[in-house]
Amino acid sequence: MTSSQADFVQPPRIAVWLVNFFAPAEEAESIVGDLLEEFTQLASKSGVAIARSWYWGQSVRTIAHLASGFRAAPWTTIAAVVGGFLLIRCGLKLSHTAVEAVLDRYQVWENHFDVYRPWIGITVGMEHVIVTTFVGIIVAAAAKGREMTATSALGLFLSALGVSGALTGVARTTGDGDYGFLWTLPWILASSIAAVVGGAIVRTRRSVAPTRPSAT
Amino acid sequence: MFGRDYLGEFEHIIVLALLRLEDRAYGVSVRQEIQLRTSRGVSIGAVYATLARLESKGYVKSHRGDPTPERGGRSKRFFRVTAKGVGAVSRTQRALSRMTEGLHLIGSYA
Repeated sequence: MTSSQADFVQPPRIAVWLVNFFAPAEEAESIVGDLLEEFTQLASKSGVAIARSWYWGQSVRTIAHLASGFRAAPWTTIAAVVGGFLLIRCGLKLSHTAVEAVLDRYQVWENHFDVYRPWIGITVGMEHVIVTTFVGIIVAAAAKGREMTATSALGLFLSALGVSGALTGVARTTGDGDYGFLWTLPWILASSIAAVVGGAIVRTRRSVAPTRPSAT
Repeated sequence: MFGRDYLGEFEHIIVLALLRLEDRAYGVSVRQEIQLRTSRGVSIGAVYATLARLESKGYVKSHRGDPTPERGGRSKRFFRVTAKGVGAVSRTQRALSRMTEGLHLIGSYA
């Protein structure tokens, strides 16, 4: 392949998007630019297939480093997890109050209980997902430049909390006991993903108008 | 005494690469220099994560170059070692020299 052909070869789009997504805002431009520069060099020297495979390898290892950005900004991450968790608790209290007010207003318990009954679990689960998405957005907005690290840490914390709660519940339930509480686990995991989605929404919006850090 | 002023192993390698590259030190050149001299494959993410840590400690400074077409219009971020960073690398080198003094490492433990 000639170098002019290599100039038109693009690295894997998904890999570029993922690196751009997980890199701190101030470093994303340089990292993606560096990867593209080496990709183009490699594509003209060794071929597109090898260059693409190299790009994926570099991207995965780079994302792993960037995702463990806890060491680079430990206080931001801790504040995101603690603050996010407290916000979720407050948000869920508010949403429960709102849902109960609506149910009371239309006298659902009294008049439509049989119709609503199958939806109770789904309503509670959806409440968790919606509240966690909003909290993810708030946390990401506060953790400027490290949106994905902050919301991924919050998501991991919520998942760990949900899984450990479920395991504790299973351990304490004996024999043919009621394992009904396990229905909440998929919703907790969905909520964890929702927190990351909230971060992704903020990151995507900020990526549209990237900021260029001033020279030091 | 100044335990925090010593560099970790990879930090040490990165600072030495920056000193070698002088004003040509940016992500790609640093990664390639390390790979060339140590035969150690490193990811660009590892380089940037370490540079960010060194910058937060005041051992390196960075500035942006102009955007270039071969990088899709993205700029390079150039790094240089500060006086504090030079002091840290010197202390680390001295400490390593003192620790290896009198040892005949090459071949002995292979």
